[in-house]
Amino acid sequence: MLLLDYQNVLIESVLTERFSGAPPVTIDQTVSDFDGVTFHISTLDTKTKIMVSIQIRCYADLVRYGAEQVLKREYGPYVVAPEPGYDFSVVVDLEDLPAEKEARDELVKKISLLKRNAMAAPFEQAYEEHYHLREEASKFTSEEAPQGVREGGEVKAIQYREEEAIYVKASHDRVTVIFSTIFREETDRVFGKVFIQEFVDARRRAIQNAPQVLFRNDPPLELQGVPGVKNTGTGEIGYVTFVLFPRHLTPQRMLDVISHIQTFRDYFHYHIKASKAYIHSRMRRRTADFLQVLRRARPDSEEKERKTASGRTFKVGS
Amino acid sequence: MSQSLRPYLQAVRSSLTAALCLSNFASQTAERHNVPEIEAQTSPEVLLTPLTIARNENERVLIEPSINSIRISIRIKQADEIEHILVHKFTRFLTQRAESFFILRRKPIKGYDISFLITNFHTEEMLKHKLVDFIIQFMEEVDKEISEMKLFLNARARFVAESFLTPVSLICPQTRPNSQVDVCLSLTKRTRRINKQSICAASSWLVEGHDSDALRLAFGEHKRIMITLSSRLLLWLLQVVILSNCRRLTIASKGNTYPEFEKHTRELTIRFLSLA
Repeated sequence: MLLLDYQNVLIESVLTERFSGAPPVTIDQTVSDFDGVTFHISTLDTKTKIMVSIQIRCYADLVRYGAEQVLKREYGPYVVAPEPGYDFSVVVDLEDLPAEKEARDELVKKISLLKRNAMAAPFEQAYEEHYHLREEASKFTSEEAPQGVREGGEVKAIQYREEEAIYVKASHDRVTVIFSTIFREETDRVFGKVFIQEFVDARRRAIQNAPQVLFRNDPPLELQGVPGVKNTGTGEIGYVTFVLFPRHLTPQRMLDVISHIQTFRDYFHYHIKASKAYIHSRMRRRTADFLQVLRRARPDSEEKERKTASGRTFKVGS
Repeated sequence: MSQSLRPYLQAVRSSLTAALCLSNFASQTAERHNVPEIEAQTSPEVLLTPLTIARNENERVLIEPSINSIRISIRIKQADEIEHILVHKFTRFLTQRAESFFILRRKPIKGYDISFLITNFHTEEMLKHKLVDFIIQFMEEVDKEISEMKLFLNARARFVAESFLTPVSLICPQTRPNSQVDVCLSLTKRTRRINKQSICAASSWLVEGHDSDALRLAFGEHKRIMITLSSRLLLWLLQVVILSNCRRLTIASKGNTYPEFEKHTRELTIRFLSLA
C-alpha cells in the first residue's frame, strides 16, 4: 500500500501454505522481486524438502561486505551449497519444522526476508564501523576528534541495479547512505524533483528527528574517487543522501532502519509512477467532460410533429 | 474567477463571436476543391487580419480568421517546470483524441500549446454560440485542472515523504486484520486546512488505485468527517492524523458492514475532494 513491505509476499504465502500441514506437493516456482532479484522455490528429490534460492546482481559486492556471515547468522542450520545459477540457497525440511506455530511463522518471515538480509550486510558493517569509530573518537575531546579520528571509513558501493547504486559510508558521528537513481524520462525527472524536495523539507517542517535528506544532480563529495561514479552532467542521474544520526544508529533500531532505508528507491519510484497513473486517469475524466460540452453544440435532430387542418398527425419521411 | 481573467475571457468571447462569420467558399486555386483557406494560405485576399489577445506574456490567444475557416490557438499558463510538463501531457492527451473533438487541430501552431480549427461545415452543423462557449469553458477549466494537478502532486509528495520519514515505531498499533472500523475525525478550525490537504491527497490516491478497500466519506454537521475503512486503511489514516497534528481522534469499532459502499465510494470521495 503506502509503504512497501520488506519481505517477499509470494514466498511468504507459498511457505505459509506449505508449513500449515497441507500434504506436500512438488513446487517449482520462480519469483521476482525488486531490483532484478530472482528467487527460485523448488522441492528436491523428496517433496518435503523445499529449497529457496536467491540470485542478486550485486552478490559479489555483498559478499565483500560480509553478506555470508550475516546470512549464516540468520539461516544457520538451513544453509546449503548454492543451487547452480543462484547465489545463495536454503533448504527447509517439512518433517523437521519447529513444533510451535509462532516459531514456524518466524521461520517463514525469516525466509521471505532473504533479500533484505542479504542486502543488509553492508549496512550492518557500516553500523559496526560507526560504533568502532565512535569509541575511538570518545578518547579525544570534541575539538580534537576530527583530527584524531580518520574522517570516515571507506565508501561501500553496492551496484544493485545496472545503472544505480547504493553507497554507504560510516564515520564517528554519522552514517551516510547515498542512493544514485536514474530518471528515464523528463516527466519522471520533474515529478522526482517535486517528491525529493518534500523529502528534503520534511525534516524542517514536520518530523524534526528524521534523517537529513539531501539531493543533488552531480556526485556528492563523499563519492569523489569512488570507481563507477560518473558525472554525466545531464541531470538524468540524481543522488539522494540520507544522513543517519546517532539516534538512528542505536542497536535497537538497527533492524528497522536497515529494512526501511532499503525500500527507499522502490518506494520513491513507485509513487512517481502512481502519481502519473492518477494524473492520467484524471485527464481522461476531464477530456470526457470537454467532449460533453462540445456535444451540446450539436443541435438535437428534433422530430417535429405536424398536424393537418383536421387535427390528424403524420410524420415527414426523412 | 480572478479580476483579470474575466475581461480576458470576455474579450476572447466577443472576438470569437465576431470572427465566426463563415461561409462556404470553394478554392480559387484548385478546381473542385474546398479547403480551409486559413490552412491552405493560397489566396491572401480571403485571409483576414489575425488577432492576438494576451492576458500576460505567458497566456495568450491567437485568432486567425479567413472567409471559410478560423484558427484559434491558445497558450496555457506555465509558471514552472511542473506546469510545463503537465500542460504538455494534457494537450498531448487531447490532441491524440482530436477525431472525437471535431474542431481540435492535431498539431498546435508554433508558440502555442493547443489549436482549434473551425470551418464553415462545423458552424453549419453546430450551434455557433455553443462552440464559443466550448472554447471559453476549455480555457477556464484547463487552467484550473493544471493547478489542481500540481497541488495534488505536491500534496502527495509531502504525504509520501513524511510517511517514509516517520519513525517506524510511531506509525501504528496493531489492529485485527479485515475488521471494519469507524473513524471519526474532529477537525478543529486551525488544523483543518492541513488535514484537508493530506487527506485529499491520500484519499484521491485511494480512490484511484484501491476502491476495493471500502472507504466511505460522509459529511455531518460540525465539520466532522466519518470514514469507514478496513484496518489497513486505518493505519494509513492514523499516519495522516499524526502528520497533521489533528486535535482529536475517536475510533469506534462497529460490526456493521456497508453494502452500498462500493457504489458510493467514488461519488462521495469526489464530493469530498471538490470541497477540499
